[in-house]
Amino acid sequence: MGVFDFLKKNKTEKEKNISSHYLSGKEVREIAKANMAEMRRLEKAKNRKAPKSEYVTEMKDDGNILEIEDLNTYFFTDQGVVKAVNGVSFNIPLNSTVGVVGESGCGKSVTSMSVMRLIQGPSGQIVSGSIRFKAYDFKTDANGKYIPVYEKDEHGNVITEKVLDKEGNVKLDKEGNPVTRPVQKKTESGLGVYEKEETVYDIAKMPIREMYRLRGRQMSMVFQEPMTSLNPVFTIGNQLDEVTLLHVPGATKAIAKKRSIEMLNMVGIAMPERVYASYPHELSGGMRQRVMIAMALAGEPRLIIADEPTTALDVTIQAQILDLFNDLKKRINGSILLITHDLGVIAEMADYVVVMYAGRIIEQGTASEIFHNPCHPYTQGLQKSKPTMKSNSDKLFNIPGNVPNPINMPSHCYFKERCSKCIKECSGDYPCMVQVSPTHFVACHLYNPKEK
Amino acid sequence: MFKYILKRIGISILILLGVSLILYTLLRCMPTDFVKQRIIALNANSQDGVSEEFIQQMYKTYGLDGTILQGYFNWLGNVCRLDFGKSFTNQREVLTEVFDPDKLGTSFLIAAIATVFEFLIAIPLGITAATHQYSIRDYVVTVLVLIGVSLPSFFFGQMLKDIFANKLGWLPPSGTGDKTQTLVGLAAVNDYIRHMILPILTVVILSIGSRMRMTRTNMLEVLNSDYIRTARAKGLKEGKVIYKHAFRNTMIPLVTSLAGLIPSLFSGAMITETVFDLPGIGKYALDAMTTGNIPVIMTYNMFLAFLSVVGVLLADLMYAVVDPRVKLA
Repeated sequence: MGVFDFLKKNKTEKEKNISSHYLSGKEVREIAKANMAEMRRLEKAKNRKAPKSEYVTEMKDDGNILEIEDLNTYFFTDQGVVKAVNGVSFNIPLNSTVGVVGESGCGKSVTSMSVMRLIQGPSGQIVSGSIRFKAYDFKTDANGKYIPVYEKDEHGNVITEKVLDKEGNVKLDKEGNPVTRPVQKKTESGLGVYEKEETVYDIAKMPIREMYRLRGRQMSMVFQEPMTSLNPVFTIGNQLDEVTLLHVPGATKAIAKKRSIEMLNMVGIAMPERVYASYPHELSGGMRQRVMIAMALAGEPRLIIADEPTTALDVTIQAQILDLFNDLKKRINGSILLITHDLGVIAEMADYVVVMYAGRIIEQGTASEIFHNPCHPYTQGLQKSKPTMKSNSDKLFNIPGNVPNPINMPSHCYFKERCSKCIKECSGDYPCMVQVSPTHFVACHLYNPKEK
Repeated sequence: MFKYILKRIGISILILLGVSLILYTLLRCMPTDFVKQRIIALNANSQDGVSEEFIQQMYKTYGLDGTILQGYFNWLGNVCRLDFGKSFTNQREVLTEVFDPDKLGTSFLIAAIATVFEFLIAIPLGITAATHQYSIRDYVVTVLVLIGVSLPSFFFGQMLKDIFANKLGWLPPSGTGDKTQTLVGLAAVNDYIRHMILPILTVVILSIGSRMRMTRTNMLEVLNSDYIRTARAKGLKEGKVIYKHAFRNTMIPLVTSLAGLIPSLFSGAMITETVFDLPGIGKYALDAMTTGNIPVIMTYNMFLAFLSVVGVLLADLMYAVVDPRVKLA
């Protein structure tokens, strides 16, 4: 009998557990109705047509290329609203690498997708906040055409040349004077140079149809799944050329091909001509990731978002890819937003580190501060769970427990249930950011001077 | 590639042999065969009834006297000599009967035009439904198209006929041409077209549903894939993302449906043809079936089986064309 009693008890406990997650049909309908209204409103805002003045703003700090402020990205599901990114704020300074770490599902990828506005609608939406991005784009005249840069002589006068007709003779106007035109500056590859200007866009408020101004040319993304991120029915060349044709004014197919092969060479592919003509399924994972990186670079962006670029790759390839990123940062003179759950990668690459947990930033600072003086118990746990050669223990440390259910988050600190250093205040409100050093911030009650 | 095709043709011949054996066996197992029907008709007309000898004689003339296997090999032997037999009902050569341009032509014309319209309407509808998922546009398209696919053709055809022919009088109710007057030149063509509108409309509306659903499902699956995200991240405009990157991938499963398309072009729309009283192959085959006209049904069905096999082979070859990952060997 005892055995059966145990089974019975076990079953009822299970049932209880299920019933706490179970929603009645009525509740589901109510949630769906509320979600529908919200999704419609946000989707409408996303697809609206808006004048440029609505989303052009100013940077708070001119040394930054990207400023994320109080970003909220939610997913509206039938079980409730998932706050995947919940009030995240951080900056990416020019010419630096910012690493975002955290475990799976903490909102790292969603943050990066929000920056690119690639969140899959209608269920995923940026609800509030601002993402300011300093774009360095071509200047346009009143007709929306790019303004060419002209060759000048030593006195600052524009050099002109005589226009030739088809037979190679100098063209004459009605009065018999030769027709002249200003000479446009050319790059090494023979492409015309156009005037550029800096504009700050608020990406979160931009209509989605305007995003093509930024994607690929100003910021580009390397995704974590090289195996599925390339279109299987087009050749590598076709997919690479597309970027050049889109973003380099005046590019022809021949120029695009030349550039694509240069790009493939740059990312360390041995036989660029052969890879150019092959299909994605004919390449290995590392090769595909290199192709993805080449694709991200072809538009010469100033910000590269690398979303776990080495997760699907083995360690030797990982090291090569990371070296490549470090090289690139110098070459393109841009910034990298590196998203990973691998602390080793962060240590090697990042200048600044942002630690995320359950959709919020819990600690941020320079790489050395995070590694040498981790403050938040979660960051400390993360560091301890990294395997080292020095430790004698057979077992790897793990942080006990799980991330709370993303629907109905508690009002206290999200890490409270798993934290080994809980104090009385932890049952109170969610901790606000505490400044530990000029660049080091942590969201934990342990460091709040008022509470000590 | 050439070797692959040869191999497939070899397999196809085996398949056709199997199909013909099964078909012949089934036809011979029908409860009332052609002779029995004739005897019943003769019995009803005369008082004395028909003699047993006469019945046996009839079975012999129609080649239905032996066992099923004997009959089958007899048929097969004749087919190998390109003799498909004579129709039981009017003793004309089956080949000229089945491949009559009037019958096959009418059916083919309806099916071909309907298929073109089906693709032209269903694919764009499927794409808009997928790109505007969960929007009002998606719901309206889905519901309308589902209504179309759920309507029985005899009911929907009859309804169209009633509204447009009987009530409004815009279009002729049935047949292929106006029998009351002789028309020549453009007037005849115009008359023919007017007669074809309602049957084609019926077939199109009934078939759009499944093709649109298929496009929508494929498109949604493709739109959620990683490479579409990559295409967007490159800075491509939405139109290019959908019509270049997503469309090629959506086409891959649609190509398979070509296999079913080729026989359906020639099979005729049995019920629609009956409703609109058209002399199509579908109606003819249905009549042959009810009278137990074995040579006609065998030829007609073997023709369709042949087209199906060709269709499948073509679909496989097309697969290799649209999807670079597929290599034929």
